[in-house]
Amino acid sequence: MPALRELQRSFGGALLGGPLPVGADAELLRIYRNTCHGTLTAALALSFPAVHRLVGAAFFESCAAAFIPIHPPRRAYLNDYGQEFPAFLGSYGPAAVLSYLPEVARLEWAVNRALHAADAAALDVAALSAIDPDEVPTLRFLPHPAVSVLNVSVPADAIWRAVLEEDEAAMAAIDLTAGPAWLLIQRRAGGVEVQRMNERGGRFAQRLCAGQTLQAALDAEADGEQAAAELHAALADHLACGRFTGWLLSPSQNPK
Amino acid sequence: MSEPHAIVGQASPIPAAAGIGLRFPHHACVLEAQPAVAWFEVHAENYFGGGRARQALTAVRCNYPVSLHGVGLSLGSAEGLDLSHLDRLRDLVHAIDPGLVSEHLSWSVTGGQYFADLLPLPMTEEALEVVCRHVQQAQEVLGRRLLLENPSTYLQFSHSSIPEWEFLAAVANRTGCGILCDINNIFVSASNHGWDPLRYLAALPADAIGEYHLAGHAECTLESGRVVRIDNHGSGVAAPVWALYEEALRRIGARPTLIEWDTDIPAFEVLLDQAAQAADRLRRITGASHARAA
Repeated sequence: MPALRELQRSFGGALLGGPLPVGADAELLRIYRNTCHGTLTAALALSFPAVHRLVGAAFFESCAAAFIPIHPPRRAYLNDYGQEFPAFLGSYGPAAVLSYLPEVARLEWAVNRALHAADAAALDVAALSAIDPDEVPTLRFLPHPAVSVLNVSVPADAIWRAVLEEDEAAMAAIDLTAGPAWLLIQRRAGGVEVQRMNERGGRFAQRLCAGQTLQAALDAEADGEQAAAELHAALADHLACGRFTGWLLSPSQNPK
Repeated sequence: MSEPHAIVGQASPIPAAAGIGLRFPHHACVLEAQPAVAWFEVHAENYFGGGRARQALTAVRCNYPVSLHGVGLSLGSAEGLDLSHLDRLRDLVHAIDPGLVSEHLSWSVTGGQYFADLLPLPMTEEALEVVCRHVQQAQEVLGRRLLLENPSTYLQFSHSSIPEWEFLAAVANRTGCGILCDINNIFVSASNHGWDPLRYLAALPADAIGEYHLAGHAECTLESGRVVRIDNHGSGVAAPVWALYEEALRRIGARPTLIEWDTDIPAFEVLLDQAAQAADRLRRITGASHARAA
């Protein structure tokens, strides 16, 4: 008689395509296998709707069938499932001809994270004025969990939008050689928004979201007065749009 | 026959009336039209995050009693509960203050992997100890009683030594948890394994039963020619399941009764009609009046 742990390990292995447990009824086990794969494939399709439309249901199912045994979910929270899917698509031979697919998938993952991230109150901008000017160089911001910055090598945002809106004209107008783009992904009251930033603004936002000090981010990206003015305007926009939930003044202080 | 009674949860108890399993396609309709439904139940994991989903549930909770039904706690996992999952469930329970919280007699996690299905347990003393330990742990962390749902299963383990109904009764007895009596699951499992569904019903401790579930299932012919009933929640409640529900009402009494529909989700009116059919039986057989809360 197998101990419960061993039975569950071998049952789980069989669901992912491993050998059947001794004495198992293959036909009945397949019912569970189908439910498991069907649910996980549906979860991936929900998180990657543009990829699903770009490749079609049948191709998506074969991608998922190859992906699931290598990267089964680690948590019983399927909104968090699929983090490795974009990179997997990049290494998946049958999809190699669609070079832009992994970039669209990276964007969809960021959108999915924004969609399901925890609720959090934006920082109170007025309170920033109380910061001692001497301490401003150590000021760092805490990004809102529903905000992220993404650098894509192709116009993934244009593809994503055209596919989901079924806009054939926009799809035809996409220039895959247009080069990289910086994207800001944020959940707002009306839904998840994806907007473009220029390269300087993108790098600046990425540094702030990574927890660098405001001073370090400005020093790294502001090469001249005009650039500094541009970044200060970008910061004002980030604050006004609630992209931070708090700040830190030095590594030793607690979040505010 | 027992008196119709509501299960007292926290602020807003779930009445011994017909409720509906609320799924995403019906959020807008329920929030806008505020249909006359006695209560709603949702899958807890769908609301672990923030944003629109949580907003919708909070708004529904303002107008209706809500029950949280977990599908991912994996109470039967030999390797222990995922404590981060339990913490998220506790946070949701604190935020929503549901009238009932329920989970399944099954497992879904092993080796740090989640299999996205309610998998069958061998009915052994070892599994009984594992389930009891985890039910107790969950009840302590959540600070409230759990209802444990009987599963629908397609296979049995040859080394099982305890009938499923006795297993459930033992968990309820040892942990003080309640039982979510899924009538469709009893019918499905009984058909698949040649059990007597009435014997199953009769063996459950009536006092522990805190809720009924009703749903549709499918009949599937396998390659070998065997016919298996699959619990797919993709159709209306089948006639023999209605009959078994009536029997439960006679033997056990009125309890909160949920209509579940998860695949090929129909228009909300179809669910309202299913709920009305359940409410009609509740009234006719137990005399339970609509939406009476304790």
